[in-house]
Amino acid sequence: MTRAARRLLAPLALAVAASGVAQGQVYQEPDAFIAEVFGSKPAPKVLWLTKDIQEQVVAILGHPPTQLRQRYWSEGAKSVWILEETGKEELITAGFVVVGGRIDHVRVLVYRESRGQEVRQSSFVKQFKDAKLAQGNRLDRDIDGIVGATLSVGAMERMARLALLFDRLSHDKVHG
Amino acid sequence: MSPKLLLLLFLRRWHARIGFAAVVFFLFLAVTGVILNHATGLGLDTRYVHAAWLARWYGLVPESPRHAFRSGRHDLVAANGRWLLDGQISGERFPAPVGLVELPDMMVVATSASLYIYGKDGALIDRLEKGALPATPVQAIGSGAQRLMLRTASGTFKSSDALSWQPAPRDVIAWSAPADLSVAERDRYAKLLEPGVSVQRLLLDLHSGRFAGRYGPLAVDLLAVFLAVLSLSGAWLFLKPRHRRERR
Repeated sequence: MTRAARRLLAPLALAVAASGVAQGQVYQEPDAFIAEVFGSKPAPKVLWLTKDIQEQVVAILGHPPTQLRQRYWSEGAKSVWILEETGKEELITAGFVVVGGRIDHVRVLVYRESRGQEVRQSSFVKQFKDAKLAQGNRLDRDIDGIVGATLSVGAMERMARLALLFDRLSHDKVHG
Repeated sequence: MSPKLLLLLFLRRWHARIGFAAVVFFLFLAVTGVILNHATGLGLDTRYVHAAWLARWYGLVPESPRHAFRSGRHDLVAANGRWLLDGQISGERFPAPVGLVELPDMMVVATSASLYIYGKDGALIDRLEKGALPATPVQAIGSGAQRLMLRTASGTFKSSDALSWQPAPRDVIAWSAPADLSVAERDRYAKLLEPGVSVQRLLLDLHSGRFAGRYGPLAVDLLAVFLAVLSLSGAWLFLKPRHRRERR
């Protein structure tokens, strides 16, 4: 390989390596979000993703869950889910507050993509207010997209469906 | 023969010649372009190509694994952002581990900022980061009385489920420590843990010409000029006879 080519590709390779440790834009620490919802941070609870649940997750995300234990925080009918999903190339971390099977509010906590930050704007996230699961684990409404942030919008919608599914399953676990 | 007819013949000849000469490149650019447009959907950003020649070509200096963490029947060797956990690659772009601990129903790998909890079958159960840990950075992990122990600058903590943590005394803890690898082991692990480049990055560099070095993008620029010439000459060849017919 020529020295010139190596000089050109080395920064790209470094950028690839650096992207692995990129922290992205932290809008709010997940801990702070949980504490804001409950007043103080309650002890976490756990939903184990059994084979049956994994199948439902795959149907929503289009890929298997990255981990088999989902932590969540709940008090009464209110639960908080901190979820991560890839937009285009990087993970988006978002917090979902579910009350009585409906989304109370959503907040983008960490955004690591270079484009598409518009998904954190209130005009976008307020579309999820009161959304619930319909047939086929879909949302009961259409979420308007954002030009240039299609993949991030898709990731937010998938996470919203997942939060509602997990909330329902966590109640089934308690009452079932 | 009129000059206009000569020009038409000249254009037709060179339109065909350039088109034929560049057909492979144009097809390559079209195919890589279409694939790149759907790279995320195809999962190309998460797939990596690992080859010594490719790492050399990209100027990546391979990091040689120097030690292993061992606990019970499990072992972990790491290099180049990759973990080899019980002989299985766990993923890409991972931070350097600081320890491995086997507990009755799980094994735990610690990095300075997070804990990775694995089942006995190697499946990732959970990844605990700053908010779920009692303190960071993690200096060491160990086990004592079948509990997970965590040593940080803020103190030592214990947990039975890696969810809730309590302060713990520092006595009777078997801390995970790195074990040196033999030269033969280093060579073997170095091959398994070669650095890689994501398929998406590789395709992007091939598409843009950057893969060929400094002059690669210029060659792709030249192809773009050829494509422009072909488009213009093609349009002219299409329109000119029609224009002539209409004038008659």
